[in-house]
Amino acid sequence: MNRGLVGDIGRYAVHDGPGIRTTVFFKGCPLHCPWCHNPEFIAGKPEVAFYPERCLGCGDCVAACPEGAITVQGGAARILRSRCSGCGLCAAPCPALALKRTGQWHTVESLTELILRDRLFYETSGGGVTLSGGEPTQQLGFAGQLLRSLKGHGLHTAIQTCGLFSWEAFAEQALASLDLIFFDLKLFDPAAHERWLGHGNATIIGNLRRLLRARPEGVVARIPLVPGYTAVENNIAALAELLRSMGVRRVALLPYHPWGLSKAGKIGRKSGNGLPGKPMRLEELSVWQRYFDQAELLGC
Amino acid sequence: MARITLPDIALREHTLESLPRLRELRELSFARRPAICIERARHVTRYLKDVDQATDTPEVRQAKKVRYFLERKSACFHDRNLLAGSTTSKELGAPLFPEYFALTLWPELLTVSERKKNPQKLSLEDARELNFDIFPFWMERNVLEQARKRISDPTGLNLFESLVFFIAGKAGCISHCVPSYVAMLEKGLDGIIAEAAGHEKECRQAAGDEERRKADFYQAMGIALEGVKAYAANLAAEAERLAARAGDPTRKNELAELAAVCRRVPAQPARTFREAINAIWLCQVGIHAENINMAMSPGRLDQLLYPYYRRDIEAGQLTVAAALELVGCLWLKLADNVAMVPEASEELFGGAGTVPAITLGGVDTQGEDAVNDLTYVMLRATELLQIRDPNVNARYHYEKNPPAYSQRVAEVIINTRAVPAFFNDAVNIDALVGQGEALEHARDYAVIGCVELASNGRDYPASSSIILNLVAPLEMALHGGRRLISGDHQIGPRTPEPAQLKSFEQFWEVFKTQLDWLIGQAIDLNEHFGAVHQEMMPSPLLSALFEGPMQKGADLIRGGARYNSSGATHIGFADVVDSLNAIEQLVWTEGKFSFAGLREALDNDFAGDAGEKMRLFLKNHTPRYGTEHPVARKNAKNLIRHLFEVYQGHTNYRGGRYRPAYWTMTNHAGLGALAGAMPHGRKSGELLASGITPVSGAAPELTACLNAVADLGGREVPGCWAFNMKYTPEADQEAMRDRFAQTVAAYFRAGGQQVQFNLMTYAMLLDAKAHPDKYPELMVRVSGYSAYFKDLNEMMRNELISRSQYTLSTGAAVPFPGLPADGKKAEPGGQTIGDWLRKALSRLLLFTPANRPWRDFDKCLKSEVAEEFLQLLLRLMELTFAVNPAFRKNIEGFAGRYLFKSADGEVTMAAIFKDGTMEVREALIDNADITVTFRNGRTLLNLILSPRQDILGSMLRQDVKTEGNLNYLYRFGAMAKQLQLMMPRI
Repeated sequence: MNRGLVGDIGRYAVHDGPGIRTTVFFKGCPLHCPWCHNPEFIAGKPEVAFYPERCLGCGDCVAACPEGAITVQGGAARILRSRCSGCGLCAAPCPALALKRTGQWHTVESLTELILRDRLFYETSGGGVTLSGGEPTQQLGFAGQLLRSLKGHGLHTAIQTCGLFSWEAFAEQALASLDLIFFDLKLFDPAAHERWLGHGNATIIGNLRRLLRARPEGVVARIPLVPGYTAVENNIAALAELLRSMGVRRVALLPYHPWGLSKAGKIGRKSGNGLPGKPMRLEELSVWQRYFDQAELLGC
Repeated sequence: MARITLPDIALREHTLESLPRLRELRELSFARRPAICIERARHVTRYLKDVDQATDTPEVRQAKKVRYFLERKSACFHDRNLLAGSTTSKELGAPLFPEYFALTLWPELLTVSERKKNPQKLSLEDARELNFDIFPFWMERNVLEQARKRISDPTGLNLFESLVFFIAGKAGCISHCVPSYVAMLEKGLDGIIAEAAGHEKECRQAAGDEERRKADFYQAMGIALEGVKAYAANLAAEAERLAARAGDPTRKNELAELAAVCRRVPAQPARTFREAINAIWLCQVGIHAENINMAMSPGRLDQLLYPYYRRDIEAGQLTVAAALELVGCLWLKLADNVAMVPEASEELFGGAGTVPAITLGGVDTQGEDAVNDLTYVMLRATELLQIRDPNVNARYHYEKNPPAYSQRVAEVIINTRAVPAFFNDAVNIDALVGQGEALEHARDYAVIGCVELASNGRDYPASSSIILNLVAPLEMALHGGRRLISGDHQIGPRTPEPAQLKSFEQFWEVFKTQLDWLIGQAIDLNEHFGAVHQEMMPSPLLSALFEGPMQKGADLIRGGARYNSSGATHIGFADVVDSLNAIEQLVWTEGKFSFAGLREALDNDFAGDAGEKMRLFLKNHTPRYGTEHPVARKNAKNLIRHLFEVYQGHTNYRGGRYRPAYWTMTNHAGLGALAGAMPHGRKSGELLASGITPVSGAAPELTACLNAVADLGGREVPGCWAFNMKYTPEADQEAMRDRFAQTVAAYFRAGGQQVQFNLMTYAMLLDAKAHPDKYPELMVRVSGYSAYFKDLNEMMRNELISRSQYTLSTGAAVPFPGLPADGKKAEPGGQTIGDWLRKALSRLLLFTPANRPWRDFDKCLKSEVAEEFLQLLLRLMELTFAVNPAFRKNIEGFAGRYLFKSADGEVTMAAIFKDGTMEVREALIDNADITVTFRNGRTLLNLILSPRQDILGSMLRQDVKTEGNLNYLYRFGAMAKQLQLMMPRI
């Protein structure tokens, strides 16, 4: 795999591991959590994001679209998602940046070069690089090459994964080049997991078990606290017990934030049912914290 | 004793509550309103009028003038400050330097106390003295007019006086330097005087003009220093007098101590920390008797004073709290003066202090960590006081200084939201080495004023010699050597029109042709001013506090310093780079627009839907400086390199090279308001970016922005730069502090020379603009100095608000919410000039004969027909001189010839003043002292009779062109203003 599909590159990330980091958001994820923070990275192909508030309605994009997927109605463009191939040719002539292609193909070299631009920031802060997504293990071959390249430059590396991957491939491609693994757990009940996220959790829990055997020090289990989904008493209690029984040393809780709701609309995706429009408050957070002996809080 | 012994470098136990004196003085500093102090102007004028000997050399004359003033300067104790001495006789005073621009105050003498924006108090009595005794003496004598007499080709002067090409700093000052106080503290002024006397004796014994000249200079040094001693003696006497009368024993004791200090220093060597700190302050006051209060910077005080601090602490004579109190007292003293600013200049310089810069930390001359306990005491004083001046700067060597130091500096910035600024030792030292300075001298650099660099006490860099507007040559390149603001007038070389060009490289050549021509003009003019300074404004006093003049026997102005240079700073760097990027990428590389089409859109200011669409495309698709786009990086680097090479190719009148720099004070706002549309989608009148900072909104990623700026740092920016960053304040201050320091360290390792911060949000600044009363003490970083937000003009407030705001917890720029619609600038007082005059005249009408042509006057004011207005004004003035003896006093002994013309040549009026009379002619006259050419009646009204008289503003907008001695215009403006104020009361 010479090329990887990358949704975005977040420079100066300070919540994705130690120090100042660059986070590479891979595009494509096998799950589709309704609360996903980055819904624009779920689909494993390029997409076009549309920001209607910027649109002048000039129609220059209509001519640029090879699929005839754009029309201008009432002074603003509209994308027919069923026709859109995600090629992004419409974005180039847009004066107002109302159209943006999400998902660029990168080579290991081009990504490494970009990441190294901030090397001094990693050095002064003890930071590095975090692969995130989407789900980086969906492009394991490319991710592995990238990690080896970064390790070759002496950078600290981390990954944020949903845990749904082939253990053998992960162990072969990535594990040796990773300093830190953020491993996400969401729902304990396999049926609920299947129902809401589109996949059961047996593989995920199995992978966590193997990972803990291989790298007990390098794993942080993360639980997103989503009201009505994960942040439910039975679920949190069960996950806490599971992690305790597996001997997980570092647990991190991710308080709910409605980041993803508005982003989903930009790419024509429906956002989750019944999710609150406000971030989780500290009082509620402390309720869930009590289930764990020690839990770090991330992203707040 | 280790250099760091403080158990807590943040000195948290010491607060304004535990230091009530500092709290009281700080409150006073915010309560005080500036007042104009005429003492200096009075005494130097008297000296030159009545005492001066024509045979004295310029240096001796200057020394005697300065001594004459210092001997007579009021000895004031305004408050409970522990240091004796004050810059002026006022609590917060603006001294007047008639040698420079004091006469711009003339038309405002009667209104400056009451003006709406930043008034400066002036008593009627002082105004009369200025009007009748002081200003008339200087009509032909200030630096600008002396230079005008010498200049045969007026091109450069005309460019300067139109103000939109470059500003020639020397017309207003040189100052901008860092003296050395080492010898003064160790030997006392007496020691320096004795040394000078020794040299003088040797030179007098030797033969030849050269030796005589040197002898005179040494003599001048001694004379000037005697002035400082006399001032200290007067202070001692006054303190003794006050002590004898004081009832409160504490105050009595304080005054007795002040007297004892002044009896000792600066004449004799300082023995204690307190004596040393007061000696420095007295010398700073002395320097301001000679040189104007503009960025006269005390330098590395934590290094200079550390031996005294340490000795006293070790001897148990000084506590940390007492040292902190004394340092705080010095900071407050350094802030006891402001510049006299005429109302129109508020647009360009509004809200500025006088920017004495203090430099802390960094490495010593051996390249080792120089941070000491006193560094932290001074940081704490800065953190507690949060006042505009002094401008405190922190040097930081990322390999030598400990992380605790950079974290502490970051913490002070977070707590003050604005200061200090961070300077990169590694790169700045190398930049000075690149200028030929010895390594150990370069390591001992200090910051001048805003950001400029100088080896402490060895370097005379005249760092504010040229302020060049880079937008001007860009516009000239786009218009074949013309500018939109000045119409068809050919200014620079005739270069090909854009439509005739075949490549971006050709355009780059055209741009450089205009730029180099403009630089040549600016340098040429600076050299003329330098020659005038050598005749008029040598600095024997300052020279005595420098390394070099004593050894060379030459005044600073004659190249006496060890290192010499002249500084040129630049306005509009980021906007011009972005414009070059737009032209290269979108016109030539992508062919999105034709150059002719782009030019047309610019000329129309992107009018219409098509224009707006094009503007948006340019704004959004131009490769931007502040990102890592290769085109943007290349053009930024090319411009930096080109400017460096051009300036370094010029040698100044003191034998030093010109050094480019990138700081803008508030000029980027004022000059932005006057610049036309630009190719990167900037509409006419919009703000320009400050210093070396990328255009607001152009650099969305923090690290990319820091990398792009840092990429330019090094030997090609020897004058340093101001880089403005705005960060969102965060709840977790400790985490923010660490990231803050790490980020600065990375930017410095990448090559960044300087960075300064505002820790504010868009919302907070918008609120401060809407409700200034809620934020009376809000201090902001402008471009190299600090100001109180409430003092800034509208444009600068908007500029501060719209600067990119980054959040350290995301590394991304926060989306800018936009400025609220301000609407048109309201006329002052809510009425038009015509309304005001009509009202005044209608009252006048009741008391004047019916056959007077008031109705006509009223009609012409309505229509603003220039000819009739001018005629009536001049006739009215003539009449009033005839009937009103008090008004006539204005022209007793005054001879002046004025010619007024309209731009179309239809109106010609002359006024001739002679023997206490005024004669009006409707004809051309010869030998006019000043010729005023105005665009139309409205512009003439603005110039002469506006309630908010705006001579500079009129010139800035190119409404009015003048030829000749500007002081005549100021004098005429003053008389017109008096007439105007008299009218309702006749």
